[in-house]
Amino acid sequence: MKLAYYPGCSGHGTGRELDESTRDLCDRLGIELQELDDWNCCGASSAHSIDEGLGVALAARNLAIADKTGLDVMTPCSACFARLAGARKHVLEHGAPEGVEDVTGQSKVFHVLDLFGNEEFVEHFHGKVQKPLAGLTLACYYGCLTNRPPEVTGKDNPENPREMETLLEAAGAETVDWPLKTVCCGGSLTLSRDEIVGQLCGNLFDMARQAGAQALVTGCPMCFMNLDRQWGAANEQGIEALPVLYFTELMLYAIDPSRGRSLFKHHLSDPTQLFSERGLP
Amino acid sequence: MVVGAGIGGMQASLDLAESGFKVYLVERDTAIGGRMAQLDKTFPTNDCAMCIMSPKLIEVGRHPNIEILTSTEVLNVDGEAGHFDVKLQRHPRFVDLARCTGCGECVKVCPIEVPNEYNMGMDGRRAIRKRYPQAIPGGYSVEKRGTAPCRDACPSHVRAQGYVALIAQGRFEEALKVVRRDLPFPAVCGRVCPHPCEDACNRGEVDEPIAIRDLKRFISDYEMKSGKKALPEVGEATGKRIAIVGGGPAGLSAAWFLRLKGHDAVVYESAPKAGGMLRYGIPDYRLPQDVLDREIETFTDLGVEIRCNSAIGQDLKLSDLYKDYDALFVAGGAQKGRLIDIPGIDGVGVMAGVDYLRGSALGELPAIGKRVVVIGGGDVAYDVARTSLRQNDGVDGAETHLCCLESRDEMMASADEIIEGEQEGVQRHNSLGPAEVLKDADGNVTGVAFKACTRVFDEDHRFSPQYDEEQRTVIECDTVILAIGQQADTRFVEGSGLDDIAARGWLQGDPLTCETPVQGIFAGGDMFAGPSIAIRAIAHGKEAAESIDRYLNNRDLKADREWDRPIADRPKKRVAKAPRQHPALRDVAERKGDYAELGDGLTEEQAVTEAQRCLACGICSECGLCEEACQAKAIDHDMKGYEQTLSVGSVILSPGFDQFEADQLGEYGHGRWANVVTSLEFERFLSATGPTVGHVKRPSDNKEPKKVAWIQCVGSRDERHDRKYCSGVCCMFATKEAVIATDHSHGELSTTIFMMDLRAMGKGFDDYCNRAQSQYGVRYVRATISRVDEVPGSSDIQVTYVGEDGQPVKETFDMLVLSTGLKPQKDVKELARRVGIELDVYGFAKNSPYAPLATSRPGVFVCGVMQGPKDIPETVAQASGAAAFAMRDLAPARGTETIQPEMPAEIDTESGDQRIGVFVCNCGINIGSVVDVPDVAEYAKKHGDVVHSEGVLFACSQDNAVHMKEIIKEKGINRLVVASCTPRTHEPLFQGTLKEVGVNPYLFSMANIREQCSWVHAQEPEKATEKAKMMVDMAVANARELKPLHKRSQSVVQSALVIGGGLAGMTAATELATQGFPVVLIEKSDRLGGNLNRLRATHDGQDIKGFNESLIKMVNENPLITVYLNANLIRTTGFLGNFESTIEIGQNGEKRREVYEHGATIVATGGHESTPKEYAYGESPAIITQMDMEEKLADPATDFAAMKDIVMIQCVGSRNEERPYCSRVCCAQALKNALAIKERAPKANVTVLMREMRSYGLKEDLYNKARRLGVLFMRYDVENPPLVKPSDKGATVTIDLPRMGKVDIEADLVALAAAIEPNNTDDVATILKLPRTADNYFLEVHQKLRPVDFASDGIFMAGLAHGPKPVDETIAQAAAAAARASSVLSSNEMMVGGQVSVVDPDKCARCMCCARACPYGVPKLVDGYAFIEPAECQGCGVCASECPGKAIQLQHVTNNQISAMLTMLNNEETTRG
Repeated sequence: MKLAYYPGCSGHGTGRELDESTRDLCDRLGIELQELDDWNCCGASSAHSIDEGLGVALAARNLAIADKTGLDVMTPCSACFARLAGARKHVLEHGAPEGVEDVTGQSKVFHVLDLFGNEEFVEHFHGKVQKPLAGLTLACYYGCLTNRPPEVTGKDNPENPREMETLLEAAGAETVDWPLKTVCCGGSLTLSRDEIVGQLCGNLFDMARQAGAQALVTGCPMCFMNLDRQWGAANEQGIEALPVLYFTELMLYAIDPSRGRSLFKHHLSDPTQLFSERGLP
Repeated sequence: MVVGAGIGGMQASLDLAESGFKVYLVERDTAIGGRMAQLDKTFPTNDCAMCIMSPKLIEVGRHPNIEILTSTEVLNVDGEAGHFDVKLQRHPRFVDLARCTGCGECVKVCPIEVPNEYNMGMDGRRAIRKRYPQAIPGGYSVEKRGTAPCRDACPSHVRAQGYVALIAQGRFEEALKVVRRDLPFPAVCGRVCPHPCEDACNRGEVDEPIAIRDLKRFISDYEMKSGKKALPEVGEATGKRIAIVGGGPAGLSAAWFLRLKGHDAVVYESAPKAGGMLRYGIPDYRLPQDVLDREIETFTDLGVEIRCNSAIGQDLKLSDLYKDYDALFVAGGAQKGRLIDIPGIDGVGVMAGVDYLRGSALGELPAIGKRVVVIGGGDVAYDVARTSLRQNDGVDGAETHLCCLESRDEMMASADEIIEGEQEGVQRHNSLGPAEVLKDADGNVTGVAFKACTRVFDEDHRFSPQYDEEQRTVIECDTVILAIGQQADTRFVEGSGLDDIAARGWLQGDPLTCETPVQGIFAGGDMFAGPSIAIRAIAHGKEAAESIDRYLNNRDLKADREWDRPIADRPKKRVAKAPRQHPALRDVAERKGDYAELGDGLTEEQAVTEAQRCLACGICSECGLCEEACQAKAIDHDMKGYEQTLSVGSVILSPGFDQFEADQLGEYGHGRWANVVTSLEFERFLSATGPTVGHVKRPSDNKEPKKVAWIQCVGSRDERHDRKYCSGVCCMFATKEAVIATDHSHGELSTTIFMMDLRAMGKGFDDYCNRAQSQYGVRYVRATISRVDEVPGSSDIQVTYVGEDGQPVKETFDMLVLSTGLKPQKDVKELARRVGIELDVYGFAKNSPYAPLATSRPGVFVCGVMQGPKDIPETVAQASGAAAFAMRDLAPARGTETIQPEMPAEIDTESGDQRIGVFVCNCGINIGSVVDVPDVAEYAKKHGDVVHSEGVLFACSQDNAVHMKEIIKEKGINRLVVASCTPRTHEPLFQGTLKEVGVNPYLFSMANIREQCSWVHAQEPEKATEKAKMMVDMAVANARELKPLHKRSQSVVQSALVIGGGLAGMTAATELATQGFPVVLIEKSDRLGGNLNRLRATHDGQDIKGFNESLIKMVNENPLITVYLNANLIRTTGFLGNFESTIEIGQNGEKRREVYEHGATIVATGGHESTPKEYAYGESPAIITQMDMEEKLADPATDFAAMKDIVMIQCVGSRNEERPYCSRVCCAQALKNALAIKERAPKANVTVLMREMRSYGLKEDLYNKARRLGVLFMRYDVENPPLVKPSDKGATVTIDLPRMGKVDIEADLVALAAAIEPNNTDDVATILKLPRTADNYFLEVHQKLRPVDFASDGIFMAGLAHGPKPVDETIAQAAAAAARASSVLSSNEMMVGGQVSVVDPDKCARCMCCARACPYGVPKLVDGYAFIEPAECQGCGVCASECPGKAIQLQHVTNNQISAMLTMLNNEETTRG
């Protein structure tokens, strides 16, 4: 299987652990990734709120590049996914936007969770697990953009997705059912209204802990950044925050613990103690 | 034809049938009753839905002119109005309704459990079921999705799903019985069958197939360990003898099934022991000899005679057998091994596999060398190879090679054999074709040379091997065993007539029936169709037995034999993967050292776990247990569906609704959080027949909730899911649920309803909601829900919403109910396509306000939710209305297709002795298992006048009716006593039986020894028997006092009086006249039209003026309608069918009177817009009512374009102390007028001030449109209403808005939505003695189910006189009143009397207690004494019990009867001590 790959700015910056673990997993699980040549910003966070046309066009340019590869395109970033999938819907329904006349919408857009969460793939992954994550109880946190709006993401169950749980259970971990898994973390308000993000992330930590989780797992670099950054702040405010991890890191860890662990050093929230307590190397 | 048998369909059918038409009531479900059957209570009266509906069910069920067609779908409709041909698909029910007695024994044995739709899937039901306990028809039905693929794939069609289901429930013995219905070799096939069933198993698509074979072995081993044998019963002896040649699986099976049919079977077997290839072809480690011996023992247990060492063709010839027996079955097998023609095949050390295995079985193992090559890729090859390994165990350097043409994936051998063989050391070589056997000089084998096989099968998958001669492989060996096929030895048939067909080595014949060309000789097994698997031979035996039985009974051999049943595909439910259970095998090293069995099979625990993996593809597994349990022999699993075409004049569609799927709105957590349920699910919790028997329990922990919330408009008023309309019923439904839940609650229950608007626009609804708030503490919160979460740990539900102050609120509830909206039933789209009618965007039937029940196809009508969302009373009114419209095209056919059953003349029962007959019913085992029925029947004989007494299996069965009639005639019985079940359902049946033999039906007495005895005293059978005897005693005493009663016929005046010349009156008059009944229409004003004279347009913009004029013209021109203007009713006397009314016509001085006789009366006295007292009405021309607005809009001179601001104020004079009700029409009227203004003056500001917007149903579209066009809606607080002051410009309207303060609007016009009030009906109500509500609307006899009927028979109502309503609803209701009236008028006579109260004038003291007590107002003074008109009496008996002078007797329940029963009880008790 071969896919075009769109890492997005986070993949090359704040979300490197997600990008690295995704690439590594694909490599180990027989998926060839071809990074899009000359990709540009997807338009998330700012462009589409200021100029809708520009928001579509930025994403559409990346789709046009993907179209030329003849491959479907995958991204590890939820925001990129939302932008690219939204632009593709726009192209299919209304035609190519101004300035990007060569886009066809032929390449489908996937989030990395769509790929790994596929039933057959979970089996495949399960067969590769070397070190089951026994003893870890995790709260899967999807946030907003991987699932909503369903008209764009095409998800059957946008309010209660289960793909991450299925994957992590295949990796030997336990997961909790908790109510806030698709609730907003505050998104880009972190730049302008940090206190709101603090409150929202605090709720997430609080509820996940109440549900019995030992760590929060996400697939979105924006959510990760907010939660990981709020970890310290929350602890200072007396909310007992949980370590935050990417699900791809945990999958990688289950296949190759030392490789998985090597990514933890980038985190502000430190999962190493949790892992050691559970007898995980 | 009425399609859909919910409450609407039932009502339409009754009205049509009562009016003299034959009705086909088509229902796709198995029972009538529809959604209403699922409701607990109904609003606003809190009546039990089932209690009020079940009389209707029974009425429909018993009506001679309603033919109920359940499990039936419409395929298409040809023809035109008046002459339709409707093609129907009749689906099989698998239960013969004429035989089913509803005893329910079948349900107890059925192993299949599926979610129970009736309880919204919250509990389970069986594959054979009744939709709900009171269902009509009362018979059961079997649900099938087709035959399960496992059964289909099995050559002998063993009911695998059935026995697997039984194993899953631990019912192992029954499971084995199910196997033996089709397969007498469970132990054998449980071990060696290559299980085609598992290859077909749908579970394989999910993970792995069910281990059907291993399960079969398990139950057979289980039986062996128990030491008991559950064998089927041998049939009644026929005296026919059949000889069977060959004691293999085919021959023995034939013998088995012949024994079951009562024939004698003698098996001739040439070998020392029976079993054929099972014994001599399969090694012990797979099928131990003792297991086979024990299985064969079951055959001799059944009486099969097996003669071993009896080869046919030598001393005994086949032709001898042919002479000596009635039929022959030849199944000699194929036991000769095949060799191939290659060089060296004659070498020493070459042998055939079958010979090798036979030697092994006989304990005479042929000698083999160290190095063995087995050629062949099937199971036999593996049997040979694995046996050789065992023979060479411990021999140094021993090797066994298995070489075959096929690749690994193409091999015929089962996967288990290949894997286990490999474990044991078989060296497999694929894709090799033998070229030459190599030998040394002495002829001893030294090896085999192979060529490469490049292809085995051609494109069409025919065997057509190709080789590459160049690629050679040589395997050195000293022994070669060929397992490449077998041959039959047919020489023994010589001289039997079969010689010709045996010429090619096999016997030929009909593959379906196994008959050979020689009459009376049948053949099967390997000799018949070539070598194959045991189960196919068994199938031959089974089929041959059927053929032989038919042959011996001279029946057609082929009829209904083809197996062409539809196969069930994989059920669409999601299934969690679960691994297949594998039986443990002994260690390889150990097992290859001996011939003992490989393992012990599945453990009990494994077997149950494995069986629970079954997907139950067919739903019904066809296990046949129900057939055995059914003593009435009502079940027929072979029942087939068929198409049927019926000719009908009109079609009424009432398919009902489905609930919006709450799971589509994932944010509310239905299906995710246990304590979030839908309103219909909650309704089932409230119901006594629900999963919790009426106790509200939250699903997560079965605790009673203390705090419950409802969320309204889930899937209603929702743009996102294309459900923009309002469902119309949910506000009241939720309110009712909150009230009833509070009633059911043992402690305090707090209830909260989250909503947008409270839409309580029906009659008495606002009042109900007010009581809900004040008496039950129901809290209404106007809020939008932002989140629903489950609180971790407690399973409570947290609801986040925005409060009225704009701040978010979090509140936690124990349970959350989602008020899911109504949508057209899911098959409506397809139904509409088949019937050829158009639907609107939502899937409701398209229609116009002037013909609200018509569809786009003339002659096809709709009612109920298919027409638009609505509640029960409206559905019922529409149903009657649709019946009226349907009758239009049928008037000439009235009475032509209905049945009046002919009865014999009544015989004299009174002049001679009383002769009592007693029948005591077992009700299957419902009564018989508790009460000793024979004892009770015997006991009854002690009464001297009881000339006959007996116990019967089912008193109500068709055959017993025949038997009873014979006994009654034979013994001259003139009093009948039946001790069985409830008279409520069964009395008319037995009365009918009496009528059919000319005995007066009132000479019948019934004792309910089921509900009142066996069911309630199941634990104390002896005492129950005593009680049953006492009940029979009392019934006998009652019978002695019975007198024949006769109904008498009374003529009916076939014409009607309609009071009121508005829309309702004119519509009703027209409908009646169209059906041919003369009508007098009286109108108190000087013109017809009523409110239509002032209205401008309907809410969808259709012109009312033109419609009104054409309607008036139609009324005036109809020769059957006499219109009196300026006319008033002065006096009415008489009763149903015979009224006489005096009408005063004319104004002032010129008055005259007319006297008119009529059979029915319709009251349509109307209503009007009230004159507002509020908002400075009358103080300025700018302050007008909405009616005035209609006129302004109709007037082209009104310059709306010059206006800047127009304000509308809602609820003016409605929903206040003076008029607590909602006027229903004003919201839509305001919307309609606002839209019309926006059209004329798009820039004008139109502001609607309201308490809430009640644009119910599809009127919500107007509200949406108005908002889109910029009409402003502002809510005012009822405590703080807007202020209106006349001003220079027009009027100043001041409104106090939350969070904004006071706002003034300078309005050019202010339109007040003035309340609707009824016209003055004081005179009419007094003259006709009609009840009215506190608001002076007429009061119907039952708000839910008889919305247009008065308590007094023969008088009906329609229009605003009943309550406020718009044009389309008025038309439907007026038509309904016409239909109800027509049911009275359709016949020129009616039967009255029978079980009615009669006054003895000699005892009457004229106290008139009876008149006060009678709920129907029947008794009156005639000639100085109380008189009860038999035509009006309902037979309830209230007057008889109230009469202080004992002057009143209720016939058939007289004081004498009751005294006699009590005396009997007392005397008998005394006797008993």
